[in-house]
Amino acid sequence: MTARQLILVVDDEPQIQRFLVHALTASGYDTTLAATGAGALEAVAQHRPDLMVLDLGLPDMNGKTVIEQLRASSDLPVIVLSAHDQEMEKILALDLGANDFVAKPFAIGELLARLRATLRPRRAAAGGTTGQAALLRSGNLALSRDLREVTVLGAPVKLTPKEFDLLLALLEQPDRIVTHRQLLLRVWGPAHVEDIVYLRVFIGQLRQKLDLAGFDASAIRTEAGIGYRWIHPD
Amino acid sequence: MEPVFVDPPVSGPRPAGPLSKRPQQILAAVLVLVVVTAIVVPSRGWMSEIVALLLLLMAVLVNAAAFGFWPGLGSALVALAVFNFFFVEPHLSLMAAQPQDMVVLLAFLTAAGLTGFLAGRMREQVDSARDRAVVLEVLSSASGALGRAGSEAQILDTVIRHVTTLSDAPVALLSRSPAGLVPAPGSLTPREADLQAAEQALIRGRVEMAIADGWTGSHLTFHPLPLGAAARHAIGHRLPEAVDRDTGYREQAIDNVLRQAGAALERLELGRKASEEREISDRQALRAALLSSLSHDLRTPLATILGSVTTLRDLRGSLPPEAQEDLLSATSEEATRLARYVENLLQMTRLLTGASVALHPVAPADCARAAASRAQRAFPAASITADLPDLPLVMAEAGLVEQVVFSLIENAKAYAPGPVLVTGATDGPDIRLEVHDQGPGLPGSVLAWLATPDLTRGEEKSGLGLPICKGIAQLLGGRLEARPGPGARLALILPAVTPTGAGGPI
Repeated sequence: MTARQLILVVDDEPQIQRFLVHALTASGYDTTLAATGAGALEAVAQHRPDLMVLDLGLPDMNGKTVIEQLRASSDLPVIVLSAHDQEMEKILALDLGANDFVAKPFAIGELLARLRATLRPRRAAAGGTTGQAALLRSGNLALSRDLREVTVLGAPVKLTPKEFDLLLALLEQPDRIVTHRQLLLRVWGPAHVEDIVYLRVFIGQLRQKLDLAGFDASAIRTEAGIGYRWIHPD
Repeated sequence: MEPVFVDPPVSGPRPAGPLSKRPQQILAAVLVLVVVTAIVVPSRGWMSEIVALLLLLMAVLVNAAAFGFWPGLGSALVALAVFNFFFVEPHLSLMAAQPQDMVVLLAFLTAAGLTGFLAGRMREQVDSARDRAVVLEVLSSASGALGRAGSEAQILDTVIRHVTTLSDAPVALLSRSPAGLVPAPGSLTPREADLQAAEQALIRGRVEMAIADGWTGSHLTFHPLPLGAAARHAIGHRLPEAVDRDTGYREQAIDNVLRQAGAALERLELGRKASEEREISDRQALRAALLSSLSHDLRTPLATILGSVTTLRDLRGSLPPEAQEDLLSATSEEATRLARYVENLLQMTRLLTGASVALHPVAPADCARAAASRAQRAFPAASITADLPDLPLVMAEAGLVEQVVFSLIENAKAYAPGPVLVTGATDGPDIRLEVHDQGPGLPGSVLAWLATPDLTRGEEKSGLGLPICKGIAQLLGGRLEARPGPGARLALILPAVTPTGAGGPI
């Protein structure tokens, strides 16, 4: 039997902590709590949690600072809880290395799904298959890293090198958000991190080609103003 | 010192003012010469010519000193004629028989002329200085009055009085109104030509000069007030008589008064706009306070309710009974908190819409006691005591006063675990309702914010409670004030009803 994973909940609202503890405990996780950014960093060092749920509106420091300080020494997965008025801070947090976000208010199912998706690669790494596998599959689509080839129902799909790289970046992290900046940085390099319009055009083309090939391109989900997420087709 | 102002007649011509005295002066100069002639002529038998010459010279000197250069020179010529006619051979003619008599006459003329010239110049300088002083006095009085004027009516009244004095004639002051140009109280009743000239001055935004005598049109010079296209008033005055020595000063002074009046009107207009802007910015500040608090006060209870309810729905099978009970309690607590917040929102919306609040005399102590009772019902576990004497009435809406006190109690309860005390007192012209707690006291940021007129706290996670209290206090013409501890002491200060019934402005 695997050990229960430990989730660090960082929120200064006792009422939010209260239901999160019940929900996470009932879902098979252990929990530990922090109410400030400083307390969160301390808890990470002390308890070595498997994932941090981080509220962006903390009294002592903003979420961006917490992530920055955390990423200096740890690759602990982080899901940020954000409100609509913290849009910019949320994007910054994701660019700085937060793995995903959930907008307040949220249904517990949504947070638990994000939590599982975020923890999955780490569990997969423990089981041997990694995001670096030579062949990535999603529904009836297969992508070969070595051949730089994409097939749908076995038939090849003609993609430009940039479209291929984009698809690869999304497929490597299924169910996880990838920000505009992360995609631009990876596919086009640091000189183009602001060219979001450019990115939109390529995503549009990629969706069109996948649709024509018979693959449901709604797998590439737009997270308005933030980035894209690959959702495996049912 | 305020100069003496002459009330203008309702209409029609007006006698020359105190600064136009030329006819009287000539008459007086002639009288002096007649008196001296009447003395010297009958005395020819025994009075030497030298004495007669001296007396006549003295008359010239008196006239020049009293009435200026031209009366002095005229007197010199008349005195010369008198001396020649009565004292120089042949008598009773203006001829001179002896050459030395001609020399005497010339010497006399020169002496009299010089005397008249010098004395007259001196006189004119004195007169000019005095006239200038009078004009300056009028100007300074106008300046002071315009500086103090707090309303358009006061400014216009000041202009009418001072320009009337400076131009020695009544003035017409016409103001734009939906019914056309209307004369201001205390100003000349305008003729049709005056109305046309005033209209022209307003349309063109510049001075419309008076028509010359003998022509048809307005004999008043009309200035738009304030100068420029934005003028709402036109003031017409007669230019001061050109014969007066100080005409130039007075025209300048009139211009000066009108410029200052224009500036005063603009100052009032700017003040009005500033207060409008302040009101708008207060409203915007309230909106900002509302929005910044929405993210906090609304999101947290909603997140808790949604999170707790979905946890119960999705994970009921894995939740122990006590956890289910706790989640239900959290839901109910947060729903109550949300209900209170929505009540606050409605209150804030009322403040934001700027709808005027109907004020009545209310008893502040009763409102505070009602708030304390309501708070005790809302928080049964808390210790809330109201200890208030009966206080003077205030102009307010009872519900608003009660809400401020209730919010202050709620605030105290949120930050200080101990008992809460509500007190009241009279404080000079105001009454004070105070909420004390025994907590750690108010944070510095809140104290600093209370001292400003701002409604927003400008901090994340600052709720709506205190900004609403401050907004209501300002709406009722009062303020919210922090008092020295121990603990936190917040007071609502409202002006007590005065015998005239003045209350807070709305």
